[in-house]
Amino acid sequence: MSNRTTTAASERVAPLGAIGGSSLRVPLTLVAVAIVFVVGAVAPTRFAGDFALRLGNEGLLLGMLALSVAFLMNQAGLVALGAASIYGGSGLLFAIAMNDWNLTPMVALCVAFLIIVVYATVLGALIVRTNPLAFMMLTLAAGEMISHAVMLEALRDYTGGADGLVVSFKGTVFGMEAADFASPARFWVVMWVAAWLSGLALWAVGRSRLGAILRAVRENEERMRFSGFDTYLPRLIAYVLVNIVAAVAGLLHVLNAGFVSPESLGISVSTNSLVAALMGGIAGSVGPLLGGVIFSFAQDEFGARGLTQLLTGIAIVVFIVVFPRGVVGGLSSMAWLRKLGGRREAS
Amino acid sequence: MIALLIANSLALASLLIMLASGLALIYGLRDVINFGHGAIYMLGAYLGYTVSLVGGFWLALIVVPILLALLGIAFEYLALRPLQGRSHIEVALVTLGLGIILGQIIIFFYGGVARSVDAPQILSGSVTVLNLSYPVYRIFLIIMGLGSCALLALWLGYTSSGLYVRAVSQDPSVARMMGINADRLSLLVTSLSTAFAGVAGVLAGPYLSIDPGMDVTMIVNCLIIVVIGGTGSIGGAIVAALLFGFMQVAGSVFLPNIAALVPYILLMIVLLVAPRGIGRGRVLN
Repeated sequence: MSNRTTTAASERVAPLGAIGGSSLRVPLTLVAVAIVFVVGAVAPTRFAGDFALRLGNEGLLLGMLALSVAFLMNQAGLVALGAASIYGGSGLLFAIAMNDWNLTPMVALCVAFLIIVVYATVLGALIVRTNPLAFMMLTLAAGEMISHAVMLEALRDYTGGADGLVVSFKGTVFGMEAADFASPARFWVVMWVAAWLSGLALWAVGRSRLGAILRAVRENEERMRFSGFDTYLPRLIAYVLVNIVAAVAGLLHVLNAGFVSPESLGISVSTNSLVAALMGGIAGSVGPLLGGVIFSFAQDEFGARGLTQLLTGIAIVVFIVVFPRGVVGGLSSMAWLRKLGGRREAS
Repeated sequence: MIALLIANSLALASLLIMLASGLALIYGLRDVINFGHGAIYMLGAYLGYTVSLVGGFWLALIVVPILLALLGIAFEYLALRPLQGRSHIEVALVTLGLGIILGQIIIFFYGGVARSVDAPQILSGSVTVLNLSYPVYRIFLIIMGLGSCALLALWLGYTSSGLYVRAVSQDPSVARMMGINADRLSLLVTSLSTAFAGVAGVLAGPYLSIDPGMDVTMIVNCLIIVVIGGTGSIGGAIVAALLFGFMQVAGSVFLPNIAALVPYILLMIVLLVAPRGIGRGRVLN
């Protein structure tokens, strides 16, 4: 009896202690995060070579794609296999807007971004109401549709067909010139900030009311509908949101590379970002971004021997079967995925 | 003109039926969409190419499906059964990974160049039917496609194992309660599905080109068909394959500029009108 009272009492005390601790811990965490942010933005540009910086930039670009894939997987239980069409498509539109529509770089950027957002919204409106498995198939089909559309003979004058398009812009975008974007060191800072912003934004959404609704819909859509929640709009918003992150990554990629190739629309970009997400772990924002960087360096190691695609396939199998939580993740398990599996038979 | 159009679309649909009904069969039993089905079809085509070089087309048409049925058994024992407890999405992702691995292994052995297989003597050339000259090989394709359709319907409709397959597809838990061994059925269905993919691969040789991109093209086409047909519905898949074949052939005749996009337009229209597809497939949610 007395034992129980003590436990109760200590339980009552414990949260108070935790609050006392966290009032100190929160600023400390903030300071630590700020230090990581500043050091991460500056240190590589001083100490890393151009080659490593390039790999890092590519890694963060892929990391942003992985972030969008992981967010949708983790929050909504939907696997998107069409990230490439948004990534490559936004870059291609940017190039077309400048080359063919004679827009200034800044306007072209906005136009490309808007068109992609509209496309993602229309596509999302069609496909998020299907079940998760059909969603996966449909995103794959939609991605292939875009890569076929780009190769159409009738659009060759616009899209450059298999040759791709060179993107050279005069003037400035966000106060930076083409040469600035092409410089690995300066682009690293841009990439670093963009990765942080998208990571923080998706993290914040995940913690918001929208995130809570998404996870609830993921667990049991029917119950949420019965409880009076709209289950369609939150998923559509999430779909558009992750595609905005992918579109930003695509635009940054083109600004950096000065070139957009049809390969950037190919299915391998989508599978790579899936692998990066699985590698980093789909929970949280740090994992996918880190997964992208790991993938980029690993690709440099094995890509020369033509093994990238083979290893991508192996990585998908290994990470799902053996390490479902990813290298960095492990924070939240894929238990929901299993629940998803059991659900059908239960209902 | 119209007759030619229909014949051509039937020829294309024959291949698609063999592949899409295989996908729908596995889905019905295991609730798994096999994203590696395209790679298995590609393996069938390349093995068909090799065996044709050694022993001729007819030997390939017999040997390759048997080899791929064995592969299907391995797939069942090594992938589907151990992962039975995992979610369908996870298993689907694993099949995607396995498909990429298989595709890369094929490219490693055969290189990145396109190959072609000649149709056997008896099937080359063309015949004249109703004043229309038509390639014999395509007629053969149509016969094979419709024949496999009929066999599938007979098996599902009139044998006890077919009955069990239908039962499990309709309601897995009740079927299991009635004492149906879903594992044994799944072994049968998986090997049948990969064997069909092998037949389709061998048949595709003289009809389409054998190239390293054929797996992605075909799996995307099949996924579109399965979605249009209503996931898991075999009848729906067959109707959708016929529709798909017709749209693609008609598209390349009447809208050559955007022919590559016609299947996707069809998909979007079906999704708009009937998000669950035209068939009466089981719905996940």
